[in-house]
This record gives sequence, structure tokens and C-alpha cells, in this order.
Amino acid sequence: MDRETLLKALNKPSPYGPDVDLSRFNVGLAGEGVLEEGEVDKISSRLGLGSGLLRKADYLQVNESVLSKFMREKLTERGAVVLPTSEALKKLDWVREYSWRLVKPDTDKYTAATKLYGNELGFFIYVPPGIKIKDPIYTCLFITRKEYAQLLHNIVVVDDGAELNLVTGCGVPDQPLGSLHVGISEYYVGRGSKLTYTMIHAWAPDMVVRPRTVVKVGEGGEYVSYYVIYSSVESLQTYPKVYLGEGAKATLNSIVVGDGKSVYDVGSAIVLEGKDSAGEILSRNLGRGSSLIYARSRIEGRAGPSRGHIECLGLIEGDNAIIESLPEISSSSPEAVLTHEAAIGKISEDLISYLLSKGFSEEEARAAIVKGFLNIEEPKLPQQVREVIKRTIEYIASKAVG
Amino acid sequence: MLELREVDVAVGKRKILSNINMVVKPRELHVVLGPNGSGKTSLLNAVMGIKPYEVIKGSIIFEGSDITQEPPHVKARKGVVVAYQIPPPIKGLVAGRFAEELMRRFNVESSYAEVLSEVLEVRDLLSKYLFDKMSGGEKKRLETFLTLLTKPKVALLDEPDSGVDVESLNRMSEALKVALSKGTSMVLVTHSLHMLRLLRDHITSVHVLYGGTVVHSGLYDEVVPSIERYGFSGALTQLARMG
Ligand SMILES: Nc1ncnc2c1ncn2[C@@H]1O[C@H](COP(=O)(O)OP(=O)(O)O)[C@@H](O)[C@H]1O
Ligand SMILES: [Mg+2]
Repeated sequence: MDRETLLKALNKPSPYGPDVDLSRFNVGLAGEGVLEEGEVDKISSRLGLGSGLLRKADYLQVNESVLSKFMREKLTERGAVVLPTSEALKKLDWVREYSWRLVKPDTDKYTAATKLYGNELGFFIYVPPGIKIKDPIYTCLFITRKEYAQLLHNIVVVDDGAELNLVTGCGVPDQPLGSLHVGISEYYVGRGSKLTYTMIHAWAPDMVVRPRTVVKVGEGGEYVSYYVIYSSVESLQTYPKVYLGEGAKATLNSIVVGDGKSVYDVGSAIVLEGKDSAGEILSRNLGRGSSLIYARSRIEGRAGPSRGHIECLGLIEGDNAIIESLPEISSSSPEAVLTHEAAIGKISEDLISYLLSKGFSEEEARAAIVKGFLNIEEPKLPQQVREVIKRTIEYIASKAVG
Repeated sequence: MLELREVDVAVGKRKILSNINMVVKPRELHVVLGPNGSGKTSLLNAVMGIKPYEVIKGSIIFEGSDITQEPPHVKARKGVVVAYQIPPPIKGLVAGRFAEELMRRFNVESSYAEVLSEVLEVRDLLSKYLFDKMSGGEKKRLETFLTLLTKPKVALLDEPDSGVDVESLNRMSEALKVALSKGTSMVLVTHSLHMLRLLRDHITSVHVLYGGTVVHSGLYDEVVPSIERYGFSGALTQLARMG
């Protein structure tokens, strides 16, 4: 794609989410970013990842600086590759075939900016055929700089019959930065392969966040995602899309906890391209403060027989939050069976009374109900990852209000 | 231990019950009978303090102090716990984890939980979400289990029998006996003659609720045989007339 097209695309707003003037942000210089262990610990504990992340993470990037020494050798031994995308593109020719394939650089201003100014930073992960990496791989992307644009490009390739459990924590310290995070993610799940992808976000009230994710799942492959965002932001917009081949499966779980004056526009889309494919979208949206949440979900049936189901639930705490739930199902195949259910409400007094009668105080009752509401059990995630999610949800629930 | 003194109960502006008196002592089992709509649920819930049921007159004394206006969770922590007639489903809250939480809060030893769960056969229900996707009988067994699990000093049981098969009625009665033997007193609302017979030796007193008040309080042998003879509604009308 020529530079001129890309420069033009820099003015192209996304069809979703509030438009943002990119000139507010500075682009970074490669190698920039200081590593302060205390700072990193602060962010990682917000993400439920605990302390000592510097020793645990397989890929850690703070601002522009990749702390590559933390990449695990164990993985390399098994033939897996974990590299900054820029290095992977330089060292391995074949990586080019996976780069900017699923996400077109001129999609909108955020993708264009990343292509133009991102220096191809971000992580590249490759798992060779038949290799099953059960232990979760942690990649962490932090920002500590003010008015800065972190523009990332991540590529994950899980080759045929392989397995990867990826956990990404993205966050900032709990303080004003006024920065932008864009993450372009292109994930390839091979034939009969499995990728689980857990993403936890903790931002600050003045952050702008625009992830762009597209996933392609080959024949008989499986993709499971679990997304948790619970902090205030200025605005966050994302609409990951997953294409399923024959017999492929996907479950997309998302938990959005809105707070402050934040705007969240969070979608999930599945395209059933192959026969016998099956997709499920589960979303829980909790509106607090004066937050505004758009919960989008879409399943397209292009081949059959196939199945798709959307479950989108919203819970409003307080009087000022707004949730808009927009489930869509669309089919061009008579044998695609697509269903959806959506509901929005407040915490039912009946449930509170019940818990009161068993000795819970009103506050404890609300916390327990919120915790239950947010609890999407995903048995396909590794136990350690479920623990991380559980801790995060407990933290969120403990902040339940009237 | 638990005493109702001249209690009136209302729902909103509507008075449902007047002048209810009852004294429940340690290890006693009190049975409340009454036709549908006579105010049995209102009575138990008002004692517990659950909205919209309200004690508008009289007082509830528990272990010597007036708890009439205490919020339900304070009463529960003191040892007065109601088992709902129809407990609400709470999605996402795993029954087993909730049970563990109750055990922790009420400091209950696991051997007691084991016995109760055995008798009430709730093991399979504990992996489900609370009262979600359960039959009527399953909900009853689970709710009775959870209530007794708190080792209350007084359990207020609202029709643990309805919708329950005979085998489960036997288990339910067995569970109540276990709790009685551990020192729990009970106020039991029931429509089951079968359950009354099973619990006969433990029943202290039977109270008949009719037309918004207790029209008769007496021993098992004064009340139950007439139910056996005239059927539930016939006997209750007759007892109501007798006063
Ligand atoms: N939540 C409520 N709101 C309004 N009225 C109620 C409520 N619960 C019970 N009532 C009324 O109070 C009366 C007694 O009902 P209830 O206590 O449920 O009787 P029982 O349990 O003996 O069948 C009935 O007339 C019923 O309509
Ligand atoms: Mg009733």
C-alpha cells in the first residue's frame, strides 16, 4: 500500500466510537521507555497479574521499549518463537505473509497511524505444528508516558495441531497520562489448533484505546477469547472479528465494567464461513457512574449447517449509566441456526432480600450479585488464567454500589 | 427464646395479620397451618424483616432483646433465619461456593454440612448456580440445606414440602430432626400431613392461621386427627369456628 493512501487514511474515522484527533499524541522513539520495577508492579497488580511480573512475563513492553531479555527460553527450546514484530519481520521472511493480511492498514486512522508510525513494535508469536504450550504465555503492554501514542502490531501464528494460551495485560499506572493505545492484532489459528486469548485492560480516565483484532481459524480449529476491561477511560472502541473455517469453533467472552464518564464501544463478531462451524458470544456489561457502554455483537452465517448464539446482558448500578445493547444476527445460509438473547436491568431487590435473609449485609449482597453477574465460566482457559480473572472480578465486585 | 407479642403485619398499606402471639423455646418445633393466602409467608417474612412485609404493631423478642426493627442480616447473624418458600435464582453464583461462604460466616464444621448434604441429597445441586435450572423440589431441598447449614437458633421454614416427592419428604423430615437434635428450634409452615406424621414426636405446638390471625394453638393430637378426618380445609374451618 502506498504512503499516500495511508496518509489519506489518517483522516478516516472509525464507524464506531467517538472520533479522536490524533494530533493530540506524540509518537514515540524506538527504545524509549524506562523500566522501573515499582511502576511495573503497580500496573500488573491492577491487572490481577500480581507482582514480580518482570520475572514472569514472556514479553514486556513499556512504551516503546521491549524488555526482550524477559522472553522465555523454554519456549524457544520447543521451537516456538517470541519476538518483537519488527525483529521477526527482519529475521524471518515468511512472517511477511502474515503481516497486515487480516487487518488492512487503511481501515481507519488508527490502523494507518500504526502502519506509518508504529515501527512494527508489538509481539510476534509462532507455535510450530503439533506443539502444545499449555502454560500460559504472558505478554504485557504498558504505558507510562504522557500524551503518547503507543501503536502496536501483534501477530500470533498457531500452526496446525498446535496450542497456545496467551494472556495479555494492557495498562497504565492509576494516574493521568492522556495517552493513546492502539493494538493491531492478527491471529492465525491453524487446522485443528487451539488458541485461548485472555486480555485484561486497566486504563485511566483520560486514556484513548483502540484495539483492532482479526482472527482466522482454520479447519477444526478453536479460538476462545476472554476480555475484561474495568477501569475508566476517555473512550475505548474495539470490534474484534473472527472468521471460522469448516468445523471451527469460537467463544468470545467479554466483561465490560464501565465507570466514571467513560465511553466504551465494545463489539464481538463471528463469521461462520465453513460448514459445521459454531460461534458463541457472551457479554456482560456493568454500567457504573456516568458511563456509556455500547455492547455490539454480530454473528454472520455464510455456510451451513452451522450454529451461532449471542448472550448479551447488562446491569446498571446507579442512575446515570447507560447501556446500549446491539446484538445482530445475519444469515445467507438456510442451514445456519442463529439465536440471540439480550437483557438489561438493575440488581433485583428480591435477590438482595434473599441474601440479607442469609446474613449478608446489603453491601455484601450487592457485591455477591455483581460477582455472579460478571462470572462467565470458561472451562477452556487454563486454571492459572481463570485464577487471574477471578481475582480481577473479585476486585471489581468489591466496589459494588447502590 | 423467640417471642412474638401482639404482632400486626402489613404489606404496604394493607394489614395482613393481627395480634399474633407465639413463644418458641430452645429445641421446640412449632407448626403453622393455614389455607393459601392466610398469611403464613407474610408472618415468617415479617419476623425476618424482609421487604415488603412489615411488623406495624407489637414486638419480636429474641433472647431477651427487642429485635423488631433490626434488619434481616442482623437477625440472621443472631440466629433467626428464614427458608424462602420460593427462593430466587441467582445466576453466576455457584451454590457450592455460596454454601462454603455460609459455613465460613456461621462458623459451621464440615461434618455437619456433610450430614445435611447427605440427608437432603444436594451434592449434585451444589455445582449449579443458586436455584437456577432446578425443579421445585430441588430448590426446596437446597434452600432447606442452606438455611439449616447456618445452624440457626430458630429456623423459619416456609413450606419446605410443596412440590416435593414422598422420598424427598422423608429426607426433608430427617434433616429437620438432625437440626432439632443439634439445638435448632423451628417454626414450620407446611401443608403435608405426611411430614406432620413423620415429625409428630417432635412437634411442640400447632398453630392454625385463619382470617388474619391465629385461631387455634394446640397439641398435635388436638389438630392433626381432625385434619386426617375432614381434610385440610375442612378441619381448618372447623377449628376456626371452634376458636
Ligand atoms: N409481596 C406481596 N405484595 C402484596 N401482597 C402480598 C405480598 N405477599 C403476600 N401478599 C398478600 O398477603 C396475603 C397473605 O399472603 P401469604 O402470606 O403469601 O399467604 P400464605 O403464605 O399463607 O399463602 C395474601 O392476600 C397476599 O395476596
Ligand atoms: Mg406462602
